[in-house]
Amino acid sequence: MNVILNFVLDVAVFLCIYLIFSLSLNLEQGYSGIANLGLYFPIIIGAIVVGYLPGRLAMWIYDIGGMNFVDDNMHVLSLLQQRLEADALMSIALLAITLTAALAIGWLAGYLAAYPALRLPQTYLAVFYLSLGETLRVVATNTKYLVGGTLGVNIINPFWFLHGDSYLGMVAFVSATTIVVFVVYEIVCRSPVGRLLRAMRENELTAACTGKNVPQIKKHVLAFTFAILALGGALHTFYLGGVLAAGYSRSDFSFWPWLMMIVGGTGNNKGVFLGTLSLVLMRRAMIVFKNYFLFLPFSVLWLEPILMALMLGLTIAYRTGGLLPEKPTKIAA
Amino acid sequence: MDPIVTTTVIYASILALIALGFTLQYVLMGIPNLAHTTIAFSSTYLTLTMFLLALSPYLAVPLAALYGGSVSFLLYRFLAFLRRRKVSLVGLMISTLVFDFAIYGGMNIYAEYIAYGLKAYTSSFILREADFVFLGLPGILFVSVLISAFFATAFHLVLTRTRFGVAMRSIVENESLAKVDGVNVDRVLAISWFFVGAVGGAAGALYPLWFSMDPWVSTVMLTTVFAASVVGGVRSIYGSLAGGLVIAVTEIFGTSGLSDLFGPVMWAYRAAIPIAATCFVLLVMPQGLGGFVSQLHRRRARA
Repeated sequence: MNVILNFVLDVAVFLCIYLIFSLSLNLEQGYSGIANLGLYFPIIIGAIVVGYLPGRLAMWIYDIGGMNFVDDNMHVLSLLQQRLEADALMSIALLAITLTAALAIGWLAGYLAAYPALRLPQTYLAVFYLSLGETLRVVATNTKYLVGGTLGVNIINPFWFLHGDSYLGMVAFVSATTIVVFVVYEIVCRSPVGRLLRAMRENELTAACTGKNVPQIKKHVLAFTFAILALGGALHTFYLGGVLAAGYSRSDFSFWPWLMMIVGGTGNNKGVFLGTLSLVLMRRAMIVFKNYFLFLPFSVLWLEPILMALMLGLTIAYRTGGLLPEKPTKIAA
Repeated sequence: MDPIVTTTVIYASILALIALGFTLQYVLMGIPNLAHTTIAFSSTYLTLTMFLLALSPYLAVPLAALYGGSVSFLLYRFLAFLRRRKVSLVGLMISTLVFDFAIYGGMNIYAEYIAYGLKAYTSSFILREADFVFLGLPGILFVSVLISAFFATAFHLVLTRTRFGVAMRSIVENESLAKVDGVNVDRVLAISWFFVGAVGGAAGALYPLWFSMDPWVSTVMLTTVFAASVVGGVRSIYGSLAGGLVIAVTEIFGTSGLSDLFGPVMWAYRAAIPIAATCFVLLVMPQGLGGFVSQLHRRRARA
């Protein structure tokens, strides 16, 4: 029974985290027409913030000196666990500070990255962000003091104070945050802002002719979605309990959300939810059942990109709108 | 010869050819081919196979050209099918990922298969010992320069001296008008994509003769190729060749200079240089080298 429950909870958390990623992409591409293939750029920023900030902040607060957070990682964490298990308030404060920092830095990164990027044609802009993400991944992987370099670094669990239920606390927190994010995106997409974004997506020139500052709107969209993506990256890192920058591949953290959005339905948040659910289930099932394919002379996980290619190709070719295509906006008569 | 210079020359030759293909595909169809570097660098496994079969790795070059050209041609057919179904430009760009994923998965399966079967290193492999020496210098230095010069010259001649080149340029200018004028757009594009894939495959096959090859190299190289394309000027075909040279020189000499100043640890940050160059060019000279040269020509003509 515990195995099934753990599987369900694991799927639920990955569904939530990937939903944050794919919904953010949907606002960028589905509603605003800004193609971004470098989703993992802000996601890595969120991961770096979590890998860097709360551990060191807690060390400073509890006056744990003479040790380095990266070099003495396990020792420092065992000391911090003793303190934080008995200090719920401080744990929650650290969580709040870290997530706020991830949001702020993500927002700033989105705004700054928009300056050179918006000079490019739409499709090249997507590759520009992909390049940014790849570069940040390489830099983070090779910078030991940031998040442990090639060996990575473990981090505090802000729910240690729940003792045996810390995992459930984390699952509940991630789920609650995702619901808030979903509601926020739904509100934005249904509001006049959502209609403005769709107008910009359909015809930038017309939107500009009606007095809308298109580049400025794009900057705001990118800053907003980058902040939420950084939040998603931070939650993912908190859930895993550590950061290994090399693990943030473009496939897992950029192309999968694209596939989820395309399969579900671009420009429709409910469709994106459906796409994310089906693909998360498929991926987790592959990981669970991979041991049944040990007779193959290669890892069965390499079939994953081929399966992904097949799904993407078939969806684009034969069901361009996805499972739940975008609906036209209803305007009151 | 200084090893840094040798590395730069080989790297620039390979990069310029791959960047040329990337830009040409963009100019012809308006989409960056995200599978281009994966197609190019998956051909390195043909070089490795030749080496494992105790044959000259250079025999892989024509095979790699045929492989790269064929895969690129198939990708074009797929994109042409999607274009007929009115898929948007972004949709087409994402569709190139279909080939990227499939080739990446296939490449890793093949790498693991020969690693198990032949007990060979298929990741982080380098085949310098299989290369020949000429005038005390590695053979790859001459071969890479010769192949680059050959393809660049052939491309220039095709573009400027043949009816096919005229057709290609007319598609770049205005595809609909070219169609009205009797150009068989589909055939021209299919041949162009085959050519570009072949050039990329041939260039990629040379890579492990001097550099360490891993299946993920294609991922990192997409950034570098993109940088070369932007520095050369997004829509400038000749500019992309110059962009490849500039990025190669900046990346290797820049990292070398930084490592002299701050220690060898700086080599780990080599991948950051192309994106820094891209940002710089976009902010200071968004038209790139190609656009800058065209601007100079226009000014001179006016004067």
